[in-house]
Amino acid sequence: MIVPLTHVLAFSGALFFLGLACVLARRNLIMILIGVEIMINGAGLALAGGSAFWQNIDGQILVILLMALTSAEVSISLAMVVYLQRRRGTLEANAYNEMHG
Amino acid sequence: MNPNLLFLILLLPLCGALINGLFGLRLPRALRGAVAVGAVAASFASVCLLWPLAAGEGTRTILGTWLASGNLRADFGLLFDPLSAAMALMVTGVSTLIHLYAVGYMHKEADTARFFALLNLFVFAMLCIVLADNLLLLFLGWEGVGFCSYGLIGFWYAKVENAAAGRKAFLVTRVGDVFFAIALLWLFAALGQLGIPEINALAPQLSPTAVTAIALLLLAGACGKSAQLPLMTWLPDAMAGPTPVSALIHAATMVTAGVYLLCRLFPLVSLSPTAMTAIALVGAVTALYAASCALAQREIKRVLAYSTMSQIGYMFIGVGAGTVSGAMFHLTTHAFFKALLFMGAGCVIHLCHEENDIYRMGGVARRSPLVFALFLAGALCLAGLPFSGGFFSKDGILLAAYAQGDGWFRLIWLLGLASALLTSLYSFRLLLLVFAGEPREKVHKHHLPGLMRWTLPPLALLGLFGGLFNLPPAYGGGERLHHWLGSLAGSLPVVDHAREFQLAALAGGLFLLGAVIAWWRYRRFPGEQPSALKNFLLHGWQADAVVEWSLLKPFRAIGRFFWEGLDRTLIEGVLHTLAGGAMREGETLRRWTNGRLSTYLSGFAWGLLALLLWFLLVLAKSAGPPHT
Repeated sequence: MIVPLTHVLAFSGALFFLGLACVLARRNLIMILIGVEIMINGAGLALAGGSAFWQNIDGQILVILLMALTSAEVSISLAMVVYLQRRRGTLEANAYNEMHG
Repeated sequence: MNPNLLFLILLLPLCGALINGLFGLRLPRALRGAVAVGAVAASFASVCLLWPLAAGEGTRTILGTWLASGNLRADFGLLFDPLSAAMALMVTGVSTLIHLYAVGYMHKEADTARFFALLNLFVFAMLCIVLADNLLLLFLGWEGVGFCSYGLIGFWYAKVENAAAGRKAFLVTRVGDVFFAIALLWLFAALGQLGIPEINALAPQLSPTAVTAIALLLLAGACGKSAQLPLMTWLPDAMAGPTPVSALIHAATMVTAGVYLLCRLFPLVSLSPTAMTAIALVGAVTALYAASCALAQREIKRVLAYSTMSQIGYMFIGVGAGTVSGAMFHLTTHAFFKALLFMGAGCVIHLCHEENDIYRMGGVARRSPLVFALFLAGALCLAGLPFSGGFFSKDGILLAAYAQGDGWFRLIWLLGLASALLTSLYSFRLLLLVFAGEPREKVHKHHLPGLMRWTLPPLALLGLFGGLFNLPPAYGGGERLHHWLGSLAGSLPVVDHAREFQLAALAGGLFLLGAVIAWWRYRRFPGEQPSALKNFLLHGWQADAVVEWSLLKPFRAIGRFFWEGLDRTLIEGVLHTLAGGAMREGETLRRWTNGRLSTYLSGFAWGLLALLLWFLLVLAKSAGPPHT
């Protein structure tokens, strides 16, 4: 492995927390979804790195699974975003607080 | 004769009760009464027909086994010996007349099915007590009588006082029942037997202390049912029931059950001189107490209730003095004249337009000479008119107490004499206030149903001439009842005839003295003249207040302490505090679920942070840096 595992993990961790910061800081639903995508990709990078380090295929299988999952998630959530935009005319996350206890 | 026919005596009233209880509402009104009267009359007829079975040692018959477990064995068995036969004859005979009277008395009442069912059940339970051959069956009847009295005293339950009176009768007699039950269990534990003849035969094996204790427990049980001190408070209130019920409870059944129990177990009881003295003393004190209370009562039926209590006190004196035949003799004559008096009182109340207060009566003699004559007969028997039934029976008991000699029994005898004077006094007071003079309240004419009038003369004859059943030898009689009872009759007082006549003259003198005092005082209605003493006597020496202060108040205080002090304050307080805390916490937590995505997301983030910190801690704890 050319790149040391620590670098890969540091990068993926940075990616994950950047995504998290995006999720926490932004109020727009689309931006939150993008943050989630970045977090998932950070996790995927860590899995791929681990797979290469230990010479174990499991990590890569999990990454493929993650991609499929992400595409499904994105298609559903984008459909919902479109629907919400049509229905309420806003994508401000805090506008959708009907589920409060 | 097939001894199993004896069960007819018992089962006929039960059948009557079942028919009226189950189908009474569908039967025509006339038939309900007919079934009830028919059942009891048939029971009376069977006692008469089966009478020969009772001669000598009597007949014991068993229908089947009720309970059998280890040593414990209780049968549905009957003991038809001279004592129980005489009692059964009296119970069924008087009950038949009372039932007939009740048909007339209740002819305007709506709910007669329940009434007659309970009345028949009452007779059944009483016969159970009378005829049972073991104590457990006797106890069944004992409780049955209590239940029926509850139902009948509170018959007009729509009025709260009546229902309360029924409850009171049930609960106060229950106190006595507990003692009786203890005595029963003790006897079973000590002797391993429940049959009455066996217990009486084995009783000498018991230690003297045990006998005394058991006899005193039996006395306590008898006190509850027979309304003797200190368990007498229920009887005056029991007047809330319909008049036939009062006649049934206070004449033929229920109150005599206690006396009968002591007579039945006399061979056991008589082994303990202490218990015998206690029985006589309780009777004497109650006789005097109740007679003094009867002096001041205003309600006609309450006068009679207190007089019942007093007369039963005499029966207790009789048992205590060792003369079972004397007690049974008085029990029988008392049943006759007291049933007569109660049913006469029912007639009087009806004639006075449902008026109970004797201060507002007066002049009834002129309106119904027949009722007057009959009531007079009853009152004279009660007061002890020389040569009436009540005179002989009461005299026999006083004679027996006198013959016991000095000591406690002399005191008991004196108490009995004082009660006799008071009895005469209150009987004549009642007579004069009710029947003499002019009506003190305006009344309309009332007609008495024939059944209410014509059931009384037989009782009047039986009461007046009841002395013939057990005429003492001093008067040329043969003491028929005493000889009939045979070995069960207890001892006979040994007094020479001259002394016997002196005592009889004394009793006659007391009768006259009471009559003269009453005539002087109540010839003309003196007005109400309330006084502290009268009020004290009117309320039965404030017995209810004493019970209220000594028992009920502390009981309620304890109850309130447990309810409000412990349950409400302590237990509920702790629970409320816990529940309130949980509520407040829930309220705080609820604010977190405000539905805003950002809040939840920051929740995730904080959770992640916490997890990571924890991982860090774990890593820091495990030795050395992590492997990479």
